[in-house]
Amino acid sequence: MVDTDVHHQVRDKSELYPYLSRHDRQRLEEFGLPRNGNLYQSSGGFKGARADCFGAGEDVDPRTRIDLFKEKLLDGCGIDCAILQGEYTPGVVALMDVDYSAALCRAYNDWTLEHWIGRDPRFRLALTLPLQNPELAVKEIHRLGDHPAVVAAYAVCGSPRLYGQRCYDPIYAACVEHGLALALHFSNEGNGVNPPPTAAGHPSYYAETYLVRPQFYQAHLSSFIFEGTFEKFPTLKVAFLESGFGWVPSFRWRADASWKALRAQTPWVKRLPSEYIAEHIRFSTQPFEDPEPPEAMLHLLEGMNADKTLMFASDFPHWDFDPPDAISRKLPAAMRQRVLSDNAFDTYPKLK
Amino acid sequence: MSAATLTPYPVCPVGELPLGKRKIVTLKGRSIGVFNIGGRYFALQNRCPHRGAPVCEGRLGGFFTASEPYAPALEREGEILRCPWHGWEFDVTTGRSVCQPEKVRVKSYPAGVEPPPETARVEKYDVTESEGQVVVWIVTENVEKLKS
Ligand code: FES
Repeated sequence: MVDTDVHHQVRDKSELYPYLSRHDRQRLEEFGLPRNGNLYQSSGGFKGARADCFGAGEDVDPRTRIDLFKEKLLDGCGIDCAILQGEYTPGVVALMDVDYSAALCRAYNDWTLEHWIGRDPRFRLALTLPLQNPELAVKEIHRLGDHPAVVAAYAVCGSPRLYGQRCYDPIYAACVEHGLALALHFSNEGNGVNPPPTAAGHPSYYAETYLVRPQFYQAHLSSFIFEGTFEKFPTLKVAFLESGFGWVPSFRWRADASWKALRAQTPWVKRLPSEYIAEHIRFSTQPFEDPEPPEAMLHLLEGMNADKTLMFASDFPHWDFDPPDAISRKLPAAMRQRVLSDNAFDTYPKLK
Repeated sequence: MSAATLTPYPVCPVGELPLGKRKIVTLKGRSIGVFNIGGRYFALQNRCPHRGAPVCEGRLGGFFTASEPYAPALEREGEILRCPWHGWEFDVTTGRSVCQPEKVRVKSYPAGVEPPPETARVEKYDVTESEGQVVVWIVTENVEKLKS
């Protein structure tokens, strides 16, 4: 079983010191890690994580506890392979000072390789990257892209530009060269160099931010399609993590309708958008939808070719964690193996 | 043939479950949370109806309400259990979901205190036993009883 989305973190900034230059280290020592700039500090659960992952009266962040990952996730849920999407990104990958951002990304990746990947063969890594500066991001992909445990390049949804735009092409070329998937996950919307966390502005409450996240994925997805990203990179796969998937069928219909009506404006888009989506985009199960009536789930799964496009993710140890057994029971029996394992192998070439 | 009867399963001496506290125990093979709320005892299955989280490990708090937007108020402090995963809230006294009470609930069991056995009440030096036991009543199929 493959878990495509789990989140680890450093317990203390000092863990990064050995991986930084003297210059960057001093800055980190004196000022600390960049934080979320959008002030949405409240989330769900306890401190955004599963409340049952904190021992009685104890405050240690579960994201920092590799023992807990082993006990509750790898062993507890029978996960053979878990892809680490760092929890480190708030602020770091949205800094205007792109050199400092790149240094912190490098340090975090190196620290993860040594302290997580090196300590359990079931972990894999999606590289944390300074995507706000594609040139530096590409350097980091070339530096670590051939490490056997590195399977993806992590792109946060908050970004100064839509990801189909050509300034990002060198990143995709590097991904293809090293056999990495691009793993898109929300984060950093409204932070630093990025636009606000909804297209219409800053909402008052976290429930709103949480609810309307699919709009980021939709905007990046439109961009990939109409910029012709998959014409340029016909083998690139993009994992949409924690995007929800209930919106996918209707998005596909709308995308096809847009293309049929406006095709001549972007003639490099050769196929129905739904075909690009089916071939290149993979959606994570988490947060799993609870449609009403529950039978609607079958239509939903059918409307997105879930047997090919849906991949299991738990989001451990976050508060909106989904356990594989409960999710598996909600899928048609014939689809389980594909969703819990096979589709991830088809998406991340280096998992094989 | 068999008939269902309620059998008391001991949880702990009364003194070990003080006001506002809970105990998670395994009774008859099921994980069950037993709560002391205002001196009354309530027992819930330790399994959330949503995705199966150990719901009884969640935080106990009150029911936040508001008579109008932006005016939050707290009621029923200590009677609402929040699932440690996705945060669904349950009324500990009924097991019912706060959001969808008619539709969603955690399985609940009757709970209470059984008086101590006669001997323990006389032998005052055994304080623990003389207090009585918190018990949870669980339905059991009792074949023998019918036969006799
Ligand atoms: S498992 Fe309890 S709220 Fe989801």
